Amino acid sequence: MAQTNQVLVTQRSNVRTIILNRPEQLNVFNLKMTCQLLELLQAYEEDPTVKLIIFKGEGRAFCAGGDIKAVVDDINKGSWKQGASLFSTGYKVHYLKATYTKTQVIILRGIAIGSGAALAIHGTFQVVTDNTVFALPEAALGSFPDAGSSYYLSRLPGFFGEYVGLTCVRLDGAEMLACGLASHYVPLEKLSSLEDALCEANTGDPKIINNIINNFSNKNPKLKEKSPYYRLKTINRCFSKRTVEEIISALKDADKNMDDWISMTIQTLKKALPTSLKISLRSIREGRLQGIGQCLIREYRIICTVLQGVFCRDFFEGYRALLVDKDKNPKWEPSKLEFVSKRMVDYYFVPLADKGWEDLKLPARSNLTSHAISKL
Amino acid sequence: MDRVNFRTQVLTRHLQTQIPTTDHLHTAPCLNYSPPELTEPSPNFDTKSLRKLLDGQNIEDIDYIFNLMIQSNLFCPRERGGKVFIAPDFNQSMEQQREMTMRRIDYLREKGAFDGWFEKKGYEGDLWRFALAESVSVFDHSLGIKLGVHFFLWGGAIRFMGTKRHHDKWYKPTETYEVKGCFAMTELGHGSNVRGIETITRYDASTGEFIINTPCESAQKYWIGGAANHATHTVVFSQLEINGVNQGVHAFIAQIRDGNGNICPNIRIADCGHKIGLNGVDNGRIWFDNLRIPRENLLNSVADVTPDGQYLSAIKDPDQRFAAFLAPLTSGRVTIAASAMNTTKVGLAIAIRYSLSRRAFSVRPNEPEVLLLDYPSHQRRLLPLLAKTYALSFASNHLKMIYVNRTPESIKTVHVVSSALKAVLTWHCMRTLQECREACGGQGLKTENHVGHLKSEYDVQLTFEGDNNVLMQQISKALLAEFLAAKKRNKPIKGLGLEHLNKPAPVIPTQLTSSTLRTSQFQTDIFRLRERDLLHRFVTEVSQRQAQGESKEHIFTVAYQIAEDLGRAFSDRLILQTYLDVEATVQAGALKSILGLMRSMYTTIVLEEDASFLRYGYLSTDNAAVVRKEVLKLCTELRPHALSLVSSFGIPDAFLAPIAFNWVDANAWSSV
Repeated sequence: MAQTNQVLVTQRSNVRTIILNRPEQLNVFNLKMTCQLLELLQAYEEDPTVKLIIFKGEGRAFCAGGDIKAVVDDINKGSWKQGASLFSTGYKVHYLKATYTKTQVIILRGIAIGSGAALAIHGTFQVVTDNTVFALPEAALGSFPDAGSSYYLSRLPGFFGEYVGLTCVRLDGAEMLACGLASHYVPLEKLSSLEDALCEANTGDPKIINNIINNFSNKNPKLKEKSPYYRLKTINRCFSKRTVEEIISALKDADKNMDDWISMTIQTLKKALPTSLKISLRSIREGRLQGIGQCLIREYRIICTVLQGVFCRDFFEGYRALLVDKDKNPKWEPSKLEFVSKRMVDYYFVPLADKGWEDLKLPARSNLTSHAISKL
Repeated sequence: MDRVNFRTQVLTRHLQTQIPTTDHLHTAPCLNYSPPELTEPSPNFDTKSLRKLLDGQNIEDIDYIFNLMIQSNLFCPRERGGKVFIAPDFNQSMEQQREMTMRRIDYLREKGAFDGWFEKKGYEGDLWRFALAESVSVFDHSLGIKLGVHFFLWGGAIRFMGTKRHHDKWYKPTETYEVKGCFAMTELGHGSNVRGIETITRYDASTGEFIINTPCESAQKYWIGGAANHATHTVVFSQLEINGVNQGVHAFIAQIRDGNGNICPNIRIADCGHKIGLNGVDNGRIWFDNLRIPRENLLNSVADVTPDGQYLSAIKDPDQRFAAFLAPLTSGRVTIAASAMNTTKVGLAIAIRYSLSRRAFSVRPNEPEVLLLDYPSHQRRLLPLLAKTYALSFASNHLKMIYVNRTPESIKTVHVVSSALKAVLTWHCMRTLQECREACGGQGLKTENHVGHLKSEYDVQLTFEGDNNVLMQQISKALLAEFLAAKKRNKPIKGLGLEHLNKPAPVIPTQLTSSTLRTSQFQTDIFRLRERDLLHRFVTEVSQRQAQGESKEHIFTVAYQIAEDLGRAFSDRLILQTYLDVEATVQAGALKSILGLMRSMYTTIVLEEDASFLRYGYLSTDNAAVVRKEVLKLCTELRPHALSLVSSFGIPDAFLAPIAFNWVDANAWSSV
């Protein structure tokens, strides 16, 4: 076993298993881990003896996202650009995974949150299981769904992606499979035999791998009774609206029968950070017409604007209220949707005026798959 | 038994899920798809800024509609080569296609896409309505036309020809589609010549009703979009006869179906049948058998009939009345011109992207084959059309702006400019699609690749809202009238961009050079010279023939050659002018230079292709040779920007075609 601290690698014939190994922190990844991932991925792509890569997390989580604490510490030390480097490196990892030449199987045991979720989604096969939890809580935290989320959310059925991105809803394995965020559902107890079977097959042929995973899969895991996926019709009707305000008012219109789910959704939207909601919606909408590369470049502009904290300090307030003081009572500024003008949102989508700042530079990819390209 | 065994073997192999390793196949050299994004130079100008010049302030409205369409299964998403494309299923029967069009409209309506159609005021409202209509046409012409008939023709007639009582009654149900409108103007016997229609309406003062009648077969309403299946109401154009006096063409509202879709009494409807394209629109024919409608159903913006049967109109001259009546309907031409440009963009984006990934023939043995767009001949086929598309798109925006800012005084300008641009832009669209079809070779023949199929979907645009040839002659007539009126008043000519006629004729250098050809001064001069000379020639021909006692009508009929040349000269000069105006808004830099390059390409290709420059001697044969050489040079210079220029169109990938992306995967055995 090759020990590389917080990222472990096991090697069995032509298969490499990459294990996120920071179990006490729920495998939250920091800059060092991200750099390691990037190096490993680059090396394996060149290495002809590697055919298949398996990703998983050590302990009870797959990955709970990026190490926000480290980022905030960096920024408090006076260097938001240092903090941003976690994102630029992370985005390169996501880009590489989304356009990778070799087959990847990601085993999602436990929670996958924020950019941890993104780490799972960009890849060939996503295997979810009984205890998988997926969530993008950024809008509640003063940030927005990033790491290529605007790319994959905008490609979910109907307007489910807008719903997931704006309401921070948690999805379980069955829901992820239903909406297309996952490719297979394998019961917990079969996961280790699946891994063995994959290693034994020793191939990178996606068709064969697909068949193998299918053999272990539960094809029709039951959706929980109150799953939002059953509400797709309402979601499509409301979350297809042009603005966050219109979405909320459409939800209110739909709430004639005092539906619990709808009132909860409205509550969540009202509690979330207004600026974030608007940025997130626009980012997902633009994502629909763009490729993964452009999505990441756009998201990098937004995250840098957030971290720079010139226009808005909400990110730091969210961090304080939810992760430091834990009073769960952040004071957003602007505090209401109607105070967030289009011009304020525009700020997040243009290159930063900061001297020396540059747009995200993505590595040239030899096999830029066609679904990864888009134009504007 | 052998046969049975053989068959079993074949079937077993076929059913085996695990395909035997095919490594020996992988080692054989095989063509790979390489995305042009990897090999082409990245844009040296900001593609977003260029798109903004094309789509203006409505980019977000347009993208929102694109988004709505991409996200619904009603728009038939299909995965090909790892990307999802949306396009109507043209393999469906005519009836199925019509139903799908209606369901897509219902979907957009449910999503609130049309909310506030009649309320949104001012030029922003107009631009929003145009943006909406154009973006749905990018998906399917039928969808755009079906929507256009309901909102722009039916809704436009209510808005502009009707008065408050009609607005109060019809706006709301039209916006919600409780009422589905159509527009019955064309008849079997009369199309462009609206004033010749034969449907006749009389007034019955005893009941306060109009009686609409189709007196003969040639008076049946024909090509009425929406009439065959869905429309519940129509605007009927008809001669109005009051007390035995024909007051000319007027418009009325008539119900043709009830809420359950049953055809009303005294109405007969038949289908126009299968067409070469646009089968998602239910074109029908209507006969009126002495249909009685209330007096209030006359659209009375310019003329009315009192309850006791007196005809009243503020405009005494029937010609003027008719012109004032129809003027607001120009919006149809504005959308046709703009949609033609979007379709052209789709075709070019597909053909150019394909030509940047498809190769043919090696120059030397064992060398890789040459990219299609690296052949100078292929560049010559596509790149001038690309530059021209930019020029004509700017002109289309100009047309929109003069339409939305129209005043009673500018009606003539709107009419002339819309006639000119509708004709020139739609012709350009059809020509470009044909070239793109050929440039894509066999792949261009597949419906899923759009470029070939779009030709039949869009062919109708050359004819509806005014036949292009008729429009061209009308422009010349209007120019002649302007010229003569100014002469009669003994004042300088004003308007329509003709002011240059008051100045001395521009002088063209005898020896043209590459750098001269690229100056806006020369380009403007030679386009003006041509317009000016052709107008003078036209005036001379008309007055000479008049002196010989020929009637004006007869003269216009026989002098069509010069009239059409003049129509084109006017359009080209107008397009160049709007292009220069756009260029002037851009700050010096990479974007401005690419715009300059495309302008030179546009003007040079017009000089090269339009025979009038040689025919009337604006270019010497020597200079024509210089022009020809310059075209090649411009192609070479434009070649590195080809990808960025089609990317700047802003057409989402989902609306393009499999051959624009990974056409190897899209056609792989695994995708069968």
